[in-house]
Amino acid sequence: MKKILLLSALLSSLAFASLQVDTTYSTMGAVTEKIGGDLVSVTVLGSSKYDPHFIVPKPSLIAKLRRADLLIMNGGGLEMGWLPPLMRSANNANIQNGAKGFLDMSHHVKMINVPTSVSRGFGDVHAQGNPHYSSDPYAILAMAKAIESKLSELDPTNEKTYKGNLEKFLSEWKVYLNKLDAKMATCQDKKVVQYHQLFNYFLKRYGYKSFGNVEPLPGISPSSSHTLELINMMRENDVKIILQDVYHEKKTAKFIAQKAGAEVKIIPHDLGADGSKTLEDFYDGVAAQICR
Amino acid sequence: MKKTICLSLLAFSSLFAQSELDALKEQLKQQETAIESLESKVGALSQKSVPNTSASFSQNAYLPDIAFIMNMSAMSRNVKNSDYEAYSIPGFINGGDAEIQFNKDKGFNFNYTEVALSSTVDPYFDAFVIFHISLDAFETEEAYVRTRALPLGLRVKAGKFKSDFGRINSKHQHAWNFDSQPIIYETLFGPDAISDAGVQLQWVAPIDMYLMAGVEAMQGTNDMSFGEAERNNLYIGYLKSSIDVGDDLSILAGVSLAHGENVVNDSTNPTDVYGVDLTFREQLGSYSALVWQSEYLYRNKDLGPRTDKQAGLYSELVYQANNNWSGGVRYDAITKNDVDLSAYSVDAGNLDRYTAKLEYKPFPMSRLRLQYTYDRTKIIAGERKDLSEVVLSLNIAAGAHGAHDY
Repeated sequence: MKKILLLSALLSSLAFASLQVDTTYSTMGAVTEKIGGDLVSVTVLGSSKYDPHFIVPKPSLIAKLRRADLLIMNGGGLEMGWLPPLMRSANNANIQNGAKGFLDMSHHVKMINVPTSVSRGFGDVHAQGNPHYSSDPYAILAMAKAIESKLSELDPTNEKTYKGNLEKFLSEWKVYLNKLDAKMATCQDKKVVQYHQLFNYFLKRYGYKSFGNVEPLPGISPSSSHTLELINMMRENDVKIILQDVYHEKKTAKFIAQKAGAEVKIIPHDLGADGSKTLEDFYDGVAAQICR
Repeated sequence: MKKTICLSLLAFSSLFAQSELDALKEQLKQQETAIESLESKVGALSQKSVPNTSASFSQNAYLPDIAFIMNMSAMSRNVKNSDYEAYSIPGFINGGDAEIQFNKDKGFNFNYTEVALSSTVDPYFDAFVIFHISLDAFETEEAYVRTRALPLGLRVKAGKFKSDFGRINSKHQHAWNFDSQPIIYETLFGPDAISDAGVQLQWVAPIDMYLMAGVEAMQGTNDMSFGEAERNNLYIGYLKSSIDVGDDLSILAGVSLAHGENVVNDSTNPTDVYGVDLTFREQLGSYSALVWQSEYLYRNKDLGPRTDKQAGLYSELVYQANNNWSGGVRYDAITKNDVDLSAYSVDAGNLDRYTAKLEYKPFPMSRLRLQYTYDRTKIIAGERKDLSEVVLSLNIAAGAHGAHDY
């Protein structure tokens, strides 16, 4: 009797064993939950409160990577400053670069702004292109597909479920995209400047033109001469929208806005940065801020 | 008549239409043939005229990541260079024995260039080499291989490496929070700290909390604490753990033990060093944080006839204001110096030091640091002398330099 109990306990624990999936950022985490459903347990490493380039490599994140079956990263150099030492210290063979449980999402989306020459003289330029592709709601489709095929590869017994979840999610997401496209079609003012080139994918998708950045070079803090140039340029071109992220200082953008008669819009860079709870909320939030 | 004309017109037009269609068909056929022949030509061209120009044995794609670090300074000190070089710290370092690697002279110092190479060897190993090049010496600072794919949360490192003993033993000078090493590290281990040939085994526990245990076996050539030369004599163990309190506060604590053997006058006796460390880091924003880090080391050095008991600590507070500016203060002290001090004719008590710094980083790869030190640990030219130092240092890390550990 005892044996049977033990055995059934063991079996049930096996039956409920879920794949531990770590994602570096929250948008990818939400897509993973859509595809994995109850079969996966998702941990997001980088809080959306913070600059995604500068997540602090806290030792507690090592513990999270230690037991992961799958690590999904953004790639494109975005995690360069914090993820490698954590992966090294986690002593988890499953998720090392090249292992089965490692997914670099940037290999599955089309990167834009790929520089023809790379030097740190140009600031924090990513050689592989602009890594902030998750601002594009259409990128979710490619992400979902890549996640499905990776989950099916790791857990083939549940392939049917993952495929079913993917199909369901894709059709839902396409309906949502139609709605979002319709909303974005009503926007009149398509001229913006950004703090950092965080939203290029979204802007490209909806025909916006980005006239410049508050930071003089990627990753370099604003300077007064660059700020003055930007103000003049905005006046000349009648740019009225400044896209500001949640984590940089907002003083410079506010100053520029005041001088150029523009408005500062605080745009979430990742799900949860503005308190959003779902993927739809997140992109609705971006759209609501940008569209005018 | 009308009908006949109409009919004949119709027949004629349809005939005409037919012939037009035929002409088109013929044209299409000709075009298809043309396309086919073009395609076959293109195919032939793509096979022929673009030869594979890659060198047959080229391995350029496997070049390791290469980085170099440079560190230099301008120094002002209230002591002559020749006197400073011969400083002693009572009970720890005798006059002239100090190995001064960094910021030695008043005026300009070029401290070192470090060249770091790292590469994945194969699916099983990563390899790292760090050369430390000063103006007159070329040293292998570290050179080791590390496993990538061991099961059960295990990892092995082998080669010549800096031990993970304590909080900062493994950190290179450019990663120190201040330009100078804490006095207790300098006096127990010297500027390279515990750095030796050996092997290391580390294990991370599969639990929610970070818990890491490590053991190391090393040669033990560091003769400030160890130094038995006939066989490997140094064994090190440590436990490190960390918890987060909310999103922003993380606490890291560690305990360490190093057990080795020292040799004095041909007699070999045990040395034990114990360490505890505690770090609090409160994140105030993406680029802003407050870090309080402290460490206490205790050494029991059996010398045969007597046992020296010595201990010291440092405690530092660093405030990072934004991604450019940070500042910090550190307090250093020797808290226990239970040794034979009869050779010193001067007062050997109250050995402590105060350090403050202001740092400006134009970009994460470069750093300017202004540091002031008030040092009461040294005997200079036979006198206890309070040392004042102001140093401005420049450190750059260029090339493919990997991110630092926490």
